[in-house]
Amino acid sequence: MMQFTDWDILRNLLLAARWTILLSLLAFIGGGLFGLLLTILRSMRNTLITRLIQGYVEVFQGIPLLMQLFLTFFGFSLIGFEVDAWTAAVISLTLFSSAFFHDIWRGCIEALPKGQWEACRTLGLSYLQTMRYVIVPQAMRMSIAPTVGFSVQIVKGTALASVIGFVELTKAGTMINNAVFQPFKVFAFVALLYFLICFPLSLLARYLEKKNHVAR
Amino acid sequence: MSLVSLDKVHKYYGDNHVLKGVDLKIEAGEVVSIIGRSGSGKSTLLRCMNGLEQYQKGGVIVDNQSVEDDEYKLRLLSRSVGMVFQSFNLFPHMTVGQNVMLATKLVLKKSPSESKKLAEELLEKVGLSDKFSAYPGNLSGGQQQRVAIARSLAMSPKVLLCDEITSALDPELVGEVLKVLEQLKAEGMTLILVTHEMNFARDVGDRVVFMNQGKVWETGASDEIFANPQTEELKSFLAAVR
Ligand SMILES: Nc1ncnc2c1ncn2[C@@H]1O[C@H](COP(=O)(O)OP(=O)(O)OP(=O)(O)O)[C@@H](O)[C@H]1O
Ligand SMILES: [Mg+2]
Repeated sequence: MMQFTDWDILRNLLLAARWTILLSLLAFIGGGLFGLLLTILRSMRNTLITRLIQGYVEVFQGIPLLMQLFLTFFGFSLIGFEVDAWTAAVISLTLFSSAFFHDIWRGCIEALPKGQWEACRTLGLSYLQTMRYVIVPQAMRMSIAPTVGFSVQIVKGTALASVIGFVELTKAGTMINNAVFQPFKVFAFVALLYFLICFPLSLLARYLEKKNHVAR
Repeated sequence: MSLVSLDKVHKYYGDNHVLKGVDLKIEAGEVVSIIGRSGSGKSTLLRCMNGLEQYQKGGVIVDNQSVEDDEYKLRLLSRSVGMVFQSFNLFPHMTVGQNVMLATKLVLKKSPSESKKLAEELLEKVGLSDKFSAYPGNLSGGQQQRVAIARSLAMSPKVLLCDEITSALDPELVGEVLKVLEQLKAEGMTLILVTHEMNFARDVGDRVVFMNQGKVWETGASDEIFANPQTEELKSFLAAVR
């Protein structure tokens, strides 16, 4: 039987961590773009559109991510599309993060004092001008910290993609353990790698939040 | 035609009947103080004059424009009516200069150099020429409020609405803001001031409007109103605030 050194374990995990990072990045970008689209659509203040988006957010925030992954993965094959685990994971995590991003950004827009809108109205600014020059710049500044903070949730969420067979960090850990039978050591390495990805993000979020606090 | 004219204005917040048939005419160049108990509808009245609140019955005409619930009309109206708020409502992410220039560029379509020149003049007028590049967050309350006044004046309004603009200030900062108002009065600006500063209402206001129970209860020349109140309600109000 082949012998695994600690370095072998770590090296294989590091290789798998690439997929965790790539999946997180795609989900962050896809979710960010889609969440932005939702936020723009919602700012048109159409009752029907707002209701639909509210429903969308409720659904994706109210169902465990694991179920969303299952439903995407098996749902596609039900309607005749064979999607691989990779595609299903990207789609699923994108939808999931778009709902949260949208909610974060909407919250930031609504957190601005009503007086900002009123000042713009009395100065004769149109709705779009108010948004572009007054509301969005302030809301964006406010949203940076929670947005980065949520990216930690995305990274951790990618671990669930292992259940549909996508080989990322968690799945790789399981597979390696099946070969070496040293669960504590293997999963300690896995945990350490997640921590090394997430901790800098948490630090960044905290730093940005503090900076934002001082700026106000 | 009066500059501001309210005709039997009724305003409800749900079941709460806040303005109960307000009649009021204000001429160009007048300085009118609106006084009254908390909740008597002073702010609501002011906000009906520039469309920040909709009224349900009656009519409001300002500078020959009917104040209605219509985005486009309200934007035109904003060139005639300026407003200064108790909480300043400056844009915290912009410098003082940018605050003053924003609407002159976007709404009046003035060129950047024209806008800058105007902003500098106005900031000088309110005594803040050295703060052009400062951020509102680094100014005192009194300074912020003077920036807000300059920002309103940049639209060259015919009438300036002020809702308790000194109430959020430390007492020692009230004077510098009132000084600016006096200066505007001297230049002939029409001012409508909701105020708790009875001294100021008496000394600077030409006329006082006493609001009570959603109505203009009593109105008259400032010295008359304070020296010789006619209604029991105004007498007890003045007794209470003195
Ligand atoms: N946005 C609102 N929604 C519901 N009710 C409101 C709103 N704004 C004011 N009111 C009610 O309308 C009435 C008049 O309020 P308003 O703010 O005009 O009084 P005010 O005379 O300005 O009082 P204050 O001296 O405290 O500022 C009050 O009963 C108040 O509760
Ligand atoms: Mg008020």
